[in-house]
Amino acid sequence: MTQDETLLMKAIDRGLDLGAEYVEARLQDDYGYSVTIRNDKVIGISRSRFKGVGIRVLVEGSLGFASTNNLTLEKVLEVVEKAITRAKATSRFRRRRIEFSKERLGKAKYSVVEKKPLLDLKVDEAVQLLLSIYKSSRGALREAKLPSMLNSLRVSIQEKLVVTSDGGAVESRIPRLYVSIGSTLFYQDRVLQRFREFGGSGGSELINEWKVDEVVMNELMKLENVLVKGTTPPGEKVDVVLGPEVVGLIVHESAGHPMEADRILGREAAQAGESYVKPDMIGKFKVGNEHATVIEDPTIPGSYGFYLYDDECVRARPRYLYKEGTLHEPLHNRHTATLFGTNSNGASRAMDYASEPIIRMSNTYLAPGTLKFEELIEDIHLGIYVKSYMEWNIDDARWNQRYVGLESYIIRNGEIAEPVLNPVLEFTTGWFYSNIVNVDRNLEFYPGTCGKGEPSQGVPVWFGGPNTRLNKIKVGVLK
Amino acid sequence: MSGLDLAQSIIKAVSKYFDEVAVLITEKESTMIKLWNTEPSITQTWLETSIRLRLVKSGRLWILQFETKDPIYIIKNAEEVLELADRVEESEIYASLPEPGRCAPLKDAYDPKVVDFMNDPGKLVEEVIDASMSHGVDRVAGAITLTKTNTSLVTSRGFQCEEKTTSVEAYARAFKGDFSGHWAHGSTRLSIEKIREVGERAGYYATLTNNKVDITPGVYDIIISPLVAGNLFNYVASMASALNVMTGFSVFAKYKTGEKIGAESFSLYDKPRDVMLPNTRSFDDEGVETYDKPIIENGVVKNILHNSGTAQKMGVKTSGNAGWIRPLPWNLEINEGALREEELIPEVRSGLFILNNWYTRLQNYYEGYFSTVSRDMVLVINNGEIIGHGGRIRIATSFPKLMKNVAGASRERFDISWWEVRIPTRTPFIMLQDIPVTKPEV
Repeated sequence: MTQDETLLMKAIDRGLDLGAEYVEARLQDDYGYSVTIRNDKVIGISRSRFKGVGIRVLVEGSLGFASTNNLTLEKVLEVVEKAITRAKATSRFRRRRIEFSKERLGKAKYSVVEKKPLLDLKVDEAVQLLLSIYKSSRGALREAKLPSMLNSLRVSIQEKLVVTSDGGAVESRIPRLYVSIGSTLFYQDRVLQRFREFGGSGGSELINEWKVDEVVMNELMKLENVLVKGTTPPGEKVDVVLGPEVVGLIVHESAGHPMEADRILGREAAQAGESYVKPDMIGKFKVGNEHATVIEDPTIPGSYGFYLYDDECVRARPRYLYKEGTLHEPLHNRHTATLFGTNSNGASRAMDYASEPIIRMSNTYLAPGTLKFEELIEDIHLGIYVKSYMEWNIDDARWNQRYVGLESYIIRNGEIAEPVLNPVLEFTTGWFYSNIVNVDRNLEFYPGTCGKGEPSQGVPVWFGGPNTRLNKIKVGVLK
Repeated sequence: MSGLDLAQSIIKAVSKYFDEVAVLITEKESTMIKLWNTEPSITQTWLETSIRLRLVKSGRLWILQFETKDPIYIIKNAEEVLELADRVEESEIYASLPEPGRCAPLKDAYDPKVVDFMNDPGKLVEEVIDASMSHGVDRVAGAITLTKTNTSLVTSRGFQCEEKTTSVEAYARAFKGDFSGHWAHGSTRLSIEKIREVGERAGYYATLTNNKVDITPGVYDIIISPLVAGNLFNYVASMASALNVMTGFSVFAKYKTGEKIGAESFSLYDKPRDVMLPNTRSFDDEGVETYDKPIIENGVVKNILHNSGTAQKMGVKTSGNAGWIRPLPWNLEINEGALREEELIPEVRSGLFILNNWYTRLQNYYEGYFSTVSRDMVLVINNGEIIGHGGRIRIATSFPKLMKNVAGASRERFDISWWEVRIPTRTPFIMLQDIPVTKPEV
């Protein structure tokens, strides 16, 4: 047994001695660096390390959590005691005992393979990469100005050792790379701003695979065209085709979040909200048509939301949130699984050592089809193609949502035509999933940092989908 | 070892390698009781020491951040930075640390009662639940957080100071059928009355009407509650950070100091010296004494928030808002108006009262185009009377337009801090005229 395992086992023993029914001890170490530049100047370089122990206990049917970054045995045992005493202090308000489902827990050790070690990507190389993105982007623009570009790169390694009092023991190491490009384009009195993100798990080979420089430059040239030549969206109802980035965000917001079982049960009611989904709707309620299949899969190699075991030591697997239009399987942890009378499907994750594990998405996507893009739009007489977005939001029941397009075009007689400026789409979750006419075969993923919990936890996710054609809808404009 | 002692020992170990060193140590104990369905979902406790270093070598600026108390690791990292220092370029926002300010810790920002309740917060939970349930609601959710913080700063320019503060944050959301109410409070002090008011107001709003009214998208006169004002002006104040202005991701990149951005009756202040508000601090992260200042006063942009680096870049003096990289507001205050709270709704002939909002996102920071979604009660007002709840709608406009359309405010102000208002804000109810409201029509 390693020194770390011994420390965690002593914490578990102390918790059990103090009367806990369940103790989970997690040693988590998040470390790495980040670089930020503005245009061709370095703003700042940061290195960080967040290393500590998080203890979760079930005592007298109440749940307690405590953490510390002081890794002496004395301090770790102190937080075990605080987790227990403070959980007991409010147990008189408990109406129903909290219980965890019985699971076949993992005893495993895994790590993401890095073709080139991520930490071999040195700070000065990262700076040069970001500078080259600015230079090539600025050089590519012909009419619009690029007064400001805010580029950052983050290298992070996440190491976890989770041990539970009922037999789980999982050790993992996940390196992640993230690049963010923030651009402001001016043309006469018009302004356009864009955040473009790249993220995944793996080594520094991701930099070459992503071709950030080329992708950003090409995209900015297209956005310049939108800014210079973009027209107002048509006033009448038109066919709408959404690109993978927009579709990915939609399924994250309106399939992933409402199918988090803790949200369905009200655990996030005062924070990120509840859900239009109620427990008795699972397996019965039709939210959409046959194209509405949304999959949540933490096991996609190289993904930003990758993991093989969750932080309760339950093995990860793909989950169908919506299946051919029907609410199929919520995301569960061991607590919500008990309340739903099922098993956990391994969705419990913590951002860092100081965070309780809660139900999180990983990689969420709309299932692709078989059509080519050209086939998807060939019979559209007048429509709009919305490829990327900037503003978006959704209500706290995950029903009423809005997206404002960035790179957007008119579709005329089956072909992409002139650009459109800031088209506004507002629809309900039910309308979106019921009005998918078809999807193409081009599945693409985009990274994001999903926020949830109190204190708020940001965790890495991918979201994606194919190009998706919708029935006619009125497109709004910014006011 | 105290935070101050630890900071001094780190300075001693690494200052020989660098031109400048600053060490900021935050020692924190915090307890949070999270509620769902009228019972605790979890009780969380954090015992943390955060150690941050600002290291400078030949104009190269490095920020190191650790939540580990291993001094050997910290010093080793500082040494590794030294090896890389000449391989990267000078920071655009580097300026030498300013002359040390006075060390005069705030006297009234620490309330021992907050610490007393950490081990037995049951009474606070009881107050929130009882006050809400007294309105006949079905259930209540929320969170109560108690924190004590010790902040120590030592710089190689000779500044050293430590400050103790406490904070209380409480918020509740009460549900009655399809209707819900919400309220929040944040302070450095523990007041049972204020904690009870959180539950009381959440329950009150949840039961104010049981009638549903359909709202047509259009332009409305709107009363926004302190919860909504807190959320929206958190975004505005964050954009006042000079780094955001430099990068163009700010409405203050377009509306410069001295230009009009809001109604004459609207003012927004940064208030680090208000010892009742939780983010109060007497010194910023560079050892500069903080001071209260207007960001917007009588509708005119008055101040951008600076650290030494951004100030030097823009040719002004620091405003005591460091953030080593990003200057930040401390606490916010919005000026009061003339109306009593009970006069607000009768004052609106036809319009909306929006109790709460979330998910504020911008299409364009430079021009300030944004939308935000309501949650909880949206009261529809006709002839000065509430006729029902209008459901979830969206304010979709620009921040300059919103601020220019401020038409009044309540006399009473509330100290708000919660999940969607992370910069504590003292704000009244605010009346807005002619604000675009949208919702899906399909």
